[in-house]
Amino acid sequence: MSRLEAKKPSLCKKEPLTSERVRATLCVLKGIVTSCYGPSGRLKQLHNGLGGYVCTTSQSSALLSKLSVTHPILKILTTSVQNHVTCFSDCGLFTTILCCNLIEHVQRTGLTPTTIIKLNKHLLSLCTSYLKSEACGCRIPVDFSRTQILLCLVRSILTSKPACMLSGKEIDHIGALILRAFLLTIPENAEDHIILGKSIIVPLKGQRVIESTVLPGILIEISEVQLIRLLPAKKPGPLKVALFRTSLSGDLSDTGEGTVVVSDGVSLENAVLDLLINLGKQLVSDHVDLVLCQKVIHPSLKRFFSTHRVIAIDRIGVTLMEPLSKATGTQPIGALGAISPSSYGSVEDLCSAKFGSKHFFHLVPNESTICSLLLGNRNDTAWDELKLTCQTAVHVLQLTIKEPWVLLGGGCTETHLAAYIRYKIHNEPESILKDGGCTQTELQLIAEAFCSTLESLAGSLEHDGGEILTDMKYGHFWSVQADSPSPVNWPGLLSRCGCGIYNSQEELSWCFLRSTHHPFALETCLPHEAVGSANNLTLDCFTAKLGGLQAAVETANLILDLSYVIEDKN
Amino acid sequence: MHLRGLSQQQTDLLSTPQFPAPVPNFRFLPRLFRSWLRPLCRRSSRPGSWRLLAVQIPGPMAALASMKVALQVAEVLEAIVSCCVGPEGRQVLCTKPTGEVLLSRDGGRLLEALHLEHPIARGLHAITDKEKDCLISENVQTHGKHWKNCCQWKFISQALLTFQMQTLDRVMDQYLRRHFLSIFSSAKERTVCRNSLELLLEAYFCGRVGRNHHKFISQLMCDYFFKCMSCKSGIAVFELVGDCLRELTVGVTGLPVSDSRIIDGFVLHRDFSVYCPADGDIRTVIVTEAIQPLFSTSGSEFILNSEAQFQTSQFWIMERTKAIMKHLHSQNVKLLLSSVKQPDLVIYYAELNSISVVECLSPEEVSLIQRITGLSPFVLPEASLQCEIANAALVKFCKPLILRSKRYVHIGLISSCTFIPHCIILCGPVQGLIEQCENALLGAFKMFQELFKGIDLNYMTQENNQNDTLSSLICKNSRENNQLPETGNGSVQRPHEDIVEKNKDKLEKMQTYLNICPKLVVSNVKLGTYTPCLAPKLITTDTFQTDETLKGLSPEINKATDDCELLTESNSTANSTTENTRKEMSFENLQVTKIAGKGSMLPVSLQSLDRYTSQNTFPQTMYCFSSIPAGCVLPVGGHFEILLHYYLLKYSQTCQQSEETMVSMIIANALLGIPKILYKSKKGSHSFPQIYMKAIHALQTNQPLVSNQMGLESVAGKHQLLTSVLQCLTKILTIDLVITIKRQPQKTDDQDSEDEL
Repeated sequence: MSRLEAKKPSLCKKEPLTSERVRATLCVLKGIVTSCYGPSGRLKQLHNGLGGYVCTTSQSSALLSKLSVTHPILKILTTSVQNHVTCFSDCGLFTTILCCNLIEHVQRTGLTPTTIIKLNKHLLSLCTSYLKSEACGCRIPVDFSRTQILLCLVRSILTSKPACMLSGKEIDHIGALILRAFLLTIPENAEDHIILGKSIIVPLKGQRVIESTVLPGILIEISEVQLIRLLPAKKPGPLKVALFRTSLSGDLSDTGEGTVVVSDGVSLENAVLDLLINLGKQLVSDHVDLVLCQKVIHPSLKRFFSTHRVIAIDRIGVTLMEPLSKATGTQPIGALGAISPSSYGSVEDLCSAKFGSKHFFHLVPNESTICSLLLGNRNDTAWDELKLTCQTAVHVLQLTIKEPWVLLGGGCTETHLAAYIRYKIHNEPESILKDGGCTQTELQLIAEAFCSTLESLAGSLEHDGGEILTDMKYGHFWSVQADSPSPVNWPGLLSRCGCGIYNSQEELSWCFLRSTHHPFALETCLPHEAVGSANNLTLDCFTAKLGGLQAAVETANLILDLSYVIEDKN
Repeated sequence: MHLRGLSQQQTDLLSTPQFPAPVPNFRFLPRLFRSWLRPLCRRSSRPGSWRLLAVQIPGPMAALASMKVALQVAEVLEAIVSCCVGPEGRQVLCTKPTGEVLLSRDGGRLLEALHLEHPIARGLHAITDKEKDCLISENVQTHGKHWKNCCQWKFISQALLTFQMQTLDRVMDQYLRRHFLSIFSSAKERTVCRNSLELLLEAYFCGRVGRNHHKFISQLMCDYFFKCMSCKSGIAVFELVGDCLRELTVGVTGLPVSDSRIIDGFVLHRDFSVYCPADGDIRTVIVTEAIQPLFSTSGSEFILNSEAQFQTSQFWIMERTKAIMKHLHSQNVKLLLSSVKQPDLVIYYAELNSISVVECLSPEEVSLIQRITGLSPFVLPEASLQCEIANAALVKFCKPLILRSKRYVHIGLISSCTFIPHCIILCGPVQGLIEQCENALLGAFKMFQELFKGIDLNYMTQENNQNDTLSSLICKNSRENNQLPETGNGSVQRPHEDIVEKNKDKLEKMQTYLNICPKLVVSNVKLGTYTPCLAPKLITTDTFQTDETLKGLSPEINKATDDCELLTESNSTANSTTENTRKEMSFENLQVTKIAGKGSMLPVSLQSLDRYTSQNTFPQTMYCFSSIPAGCVLPVGGHFEILLHYYLLKYSQTCQQSEETMVSMIIANALLGIPKILYKSKKGSHSFPQIYMKAIHALQTNQPLVSNQMGLESVAGKHQLLTSVLQCLTKILTIDLVITIKRQPQKTDDQDSEDEL
């Protein structure tokens, strides 16, 4: 009774965004994420004062999940970004920065939330329809017959995660590995719809990055002693496999709700063991060479197997069950007898492998979409970061199969999009105004805020005090050293734009991104020779970036729409 | 009721301004008192917690103070909820102690999140819980302004109640009716055209979900409506969807709202345990227990005598499971839906027999599947496996559905009822937004339920030479009650006397206040209305009429009237469904014949109308039973409120009773608060005064009202809302002192036993 406490009344705050404290916290969050953004982004070290290990990262998924935010508005923002990241893996920082910037910029206009939200939505649909249209000037179709674009995409992801601590050579190596692992998961004879396989990441912590590799099939970690004991039993050639889902330890898990009375002198252990040995006999007579069990195998049964030259591996764990059953073509067995012969599968070969100090059984499948990606990195934190990055890259490749386009990276998409919107709003504002509910001035104000949001997002790629320029033809992103002498010699100072598709030797004119400039019509067709030949493009995932853009604007709208915050203090 | 038992002494105890030690005093209050208080506290969000209690105590000062507090509370709440109202309304963010973040524009939900401490606020909360809109406090607040001027809150509360019971329905029926539009394109078949449904839904979601999404969500809902309903589906479908909407929606976070869609079939919120692709004729069964036989069932004992016995039974279990799964396979069952986790053995044999398995279905999912397909759970045959499986349903398809890298089971159920199964996939950046959409959809289905039902209006009119108006009824009745012999000073009569007093002289300060629970008032008013024919008889035939007989009389009268109401209601609804003409039924009052010498036994007989009118010269009460037909709608944008405002004002001018005029006017003016909020941000010709003037002008010149806003809203919902507001108000007005008890909430059961000792 004493534990029953009366509930405290909740705290209710009006117009949360106008409060100075909320603005300050939003600004802090923005500062944290902005400084992480891009290849030259700064790292964040997160450690809990109560213990646990230190995490060094610049990735949104690691950062936001470890950062504990208290203010409800920040909570909404971070949850939204995390949800986006679980969907698309990539573009978490992009979403966060865009959202923070958008809130900040549109608030400065001083318009009512209703108008802001309505116009934001219009501008967003302008962006999405442009990005999805054929005329889009910052989108490249992916040619799956060549690896170039895919490699560029993977490499862009790797370079944008500085906490992986990879050198240029290592990036090339890992990039190639990721692409290989991905290609191994694609079934060879695809029918009308493809079911992708799985690449399992196997940790090789403490090994050098360059020692990372990809193997088809599955690796099962095993102790050296076991390996020495089991391997001599191996027969050459294809092996017949039985995969058990049920425990072979002889436990009697479920006997029903009633009671079971065992008479004196009856040994259940022996009875169960007899059952197990009978099962073993059946497996031997069925010529099974390899027995895999998710749970535990009874030692007596193990001994029985080894005397009959059957390799038995137990404690596989539930995560490996599905890939194993896929790779070997077995049906996981749930019975202690009467096994149907159709449940057995086979592997091409079983060999031992040693990576660093770890020993593995390598199951080489006949034909399967399962592969193992062995990743090494110097220390734990860097390895964790690398693992996350690889998962992101594989996921991004999967998304690219569904929507076979990539967007130009390096800030070019953002500046291009901003230039497009400026021009569109300046020349054809009727398409939005005809809907009613706002004036042309309001539209201009919000469009300007929206564009400068995109531009400042692109600008946050620059961390070393450099200046950012944009060209007046393609609307791409160019960065120049901080202490550049004069604007006259720009073609000499600049080399390539952010994504690397254009070089400065073309007849271009530049201006500072932050300066006000007149809207200009964009050259939207992409040079085919540039796309075809360039092998050093910076590219972004189309699906993830589009999703991030939508998530950011929707979340910003949501936050702007809040009139009260009620905090339950219980 | 409880009133009688509350002695003067106890009332004094309560009214003592400061308890020296409140806790012990309250501990030993008699049981009766508590049970009287309980209805007042019942509405609090947590049963059993009595932090705050409201009791009524004589003393105008205390009451005045509490009124002030109530007013303040209402003002604060209004400020919060009014920002959510209407198409321009904004969101409110609520955080839960668990860290969850909720978004809402629903008044009830917000008030719940506030954990209100003030009992008046809690009272408001209880109402908004089930209500359609969040405007209550707005009304209350406006009312409150008027209370400041008059201290006779108690009296007003009664007048309000009368208003709610009589005038509102009457005005709705006689004046507002002509403005109603119908959502049905043909009244007989109750078919809804897509266009009007879109208007209705858009207006509804306008106030429910985020500003950017209401169009999209209402389109989605509209599609859903037309996809799920076959031509003959009726209210049953709304009920089914309303009950099971949580199971019929799948929330996906991380995707933009515009990715939401409707898919054919039914989605289970889990993955297959075994998936075997199958096509063609797929039969499915539902099991509620493990298929594998166990050693012993509950309550039984299994004795193991030998090792061989154990092995044999293990073997038998295996063979039996295998046989059952084979049997299912032979019967073409390809999908097994289980509400429990099945053992490995079952899973294995299911896979061997290419039967897909879905385990751990929630009871809600199972019941929904059963409702849709009419399938009952599969019972394992005891002995032979030769028989046909009767409890199997056909499904069109059964396949995995991947949403945002999470796998679901997608089944094409074939419906045996009028509901065609479809699921809504709701996407949104955060869970809170999805929940909001889900709740809004749920609300929309509830609104449909009400819209398709129609409302019964019943009110009384008195056709009398002297009194035309409605409220004079009570006055009249009471006066006649007054003629009752003074010897009967039972408690039942006392309220009547009070009313009489009040009616006689409004400004006179009352000497004693009676604690009348709202419920009691209701019954008394009812009783009062029947006395016209009763009272004279009592006088003429029976001068030794005692309190007891009166008491014995009242339940029977009530009972009899209930019957009458039932009769006429069924009559009028039957008529009104076919044609919209109002059916006025006036029927005979209760003819009570007193059998002399029988004391308290009073047989009640019901006689026909013509006989009554021919022989009766007493004031005649007309009962009007009418109904607003199902599907009545009005355009949005404060239409209902302005109309009701106008007609109430008009009605109040015809009233002879000043208090009725006053109440009508108070409510008429309070109603305007809603359009005022709606047009708050509008300027120029769309500002509230302009709109108001235009509407009033149109009404005065009998021109059709023009609305600049598209969208429709249900009349039934509005009517119910208003009724609840008035009831809530009545209750609040009856309270005049709030006593705070700083004690831990206790279990009421414990206290009961303690007191009985």
